[in-house]
Amino acid sequence: MDCPTCEAMIDAYVDGELSATESAAFEAALPGCPDCRRRLEDARAMSGFLRDLPAERAPDLLRAKIERELRAISSASKPQARPVLGQNMRWMAMAASLVLAVSIGWVGGTFTGRPGGGDDELVSTYLRVASSDHPVDVASTDRHTVKPWFAGRIDYSPPVRDLTSSGFPLEGGRLDVVAGRKVSVLVYRHNQHRVALSLWPATASGNTPPKVVERNGFVMAEWRHDGFEMHAVSDLGVSEMASFAAALDRATGEDR
Amino acid sequence: MPDAPIPEAPPPDAVTAERFRAVVMPHLDAAYGFARYLTRDPVQAQDVAQEAMLRALRYFYAFRGEEARPWLLRIVRNTWSDFRSRKGANDQPLDVVEDRAADGPDPEQSALDGDRRRHVVAALAALPSEAREILVLREIEDFSYKHIASVLDLPVGTVMSRLARAREKLAAELRGRLGRRGHGLSDM
Repeated sequence: MDCPTCEAMIDAYVDGELSATESAAFEAALPGCPDCRRRLEDARAMSGFLRDLPAERAPDLLRAKIERELRAISSASKPQARPVLGQNMRWMAMAASLVLAVSIGWVGGTFTGRPGGGDDELVSTYLRVASSDHPVDVASTDRHTVKPWFAGRIDYSPPVRDLTSSGFPLEGGRLDVVAGRKVSVLVYRHNQHRVALSLWPATASGNTPPKVVERNGFVMAEWRHDGFEMHAVSDLGVSEMASFAAALDRATGEDR
Repeated sequence: MPDAPIPEAPPPDAVTAERFRAVVMPHLDAAYGFARYLTRDPVQAQDVAQEAMLRALRYFYAFRGEEARPWLLRIVRNTWSDFRSRKGANDQPLDVVEDRAADGPDPEQSALDGDRRRHVVAALAALPSEAREILVLREIEDFSYKHIASVLDLPVGTVMSRLARAREKLAAELRGRLGRRGHGLSDM
């Protein structure tokens, strides 16, 4: 093999694009061609350098925007039963990460029911959890760490439950502001996805069943349980959100 | 009927959306990463990747089970080329690019791994886009020549020669940065 031939094969050889016969011929020619050997080493070194670069990850906000578009399409062109859970889990495992965040907040007398903009604020809370590098201020799966963290930061003590056994492990907590009041937010994870929930002491008594709605491409749940108003926002499907609310209520019941 | 309208893409429905989630969404990171290398700018990369994903969703009805990642990256590349012609924007001046490239895709990790990775990122960013894109597809996406050919719309033979030239350019850039003319890169 002459040198120009051997030189022309270097890249295809490095890239594994030569047939076995061609590779063997190239390898046999190499010892007689120091120049090509050096170029082969360079090509390999560069390949190694580039492969060593850290993998890029799409920003959560970008992911949330696309997910939102997909959900808008799904809700516009249904109604039709959502796939059974098993199927859901399969695509969810393949799909991008979702975030479910739950905020628990004390809003006192100023926050009765839902003032205008309340949904937007709750969605913003969710997006801060979904798109931030630091989705939580206190990161812990241990509720005995998360609950005391709120002490002295807000003027009430939110019930904190880990829901790992129901598939929603606690990720931590953070503070946010809803309707001008500081509120506590609990962040849960579901598979690769995060979920955000806001909750504050109720002014009315009695429990209400979770009301789960899809709004602006996000799934929101609100209900009253055990003296607290719960407001959850997430990228999860309606049925997962319902399971989440049920799991939370169950955990509160078991705890007393 | 004269002037029959060209059939429009049907608007995506719930079934399409679910399939898109399963087939295309797993490649979102790759789409963003490719856009990041093409644009050399994190903000513009996000715009390009978002627009490309929405286009992919619109054209997904015509997707016939070929491999999704090359299909998607081809859309990313077309989207970027439309962005550039729409804005009449050329590649950014290199000094701007190098400032950003020096931060690397992940500054913390780059710092941990020392200078080499920063030099590699900066050298890659300094290459003309023709060299940059083919190196990213080959080395970072690990695409075969056939897949590269489908993304770049080139014959396979051209992929091979263009890749060889791109590697030469990268080697020259790296040597220039390290002041090691004539030395092997493998001792870097």
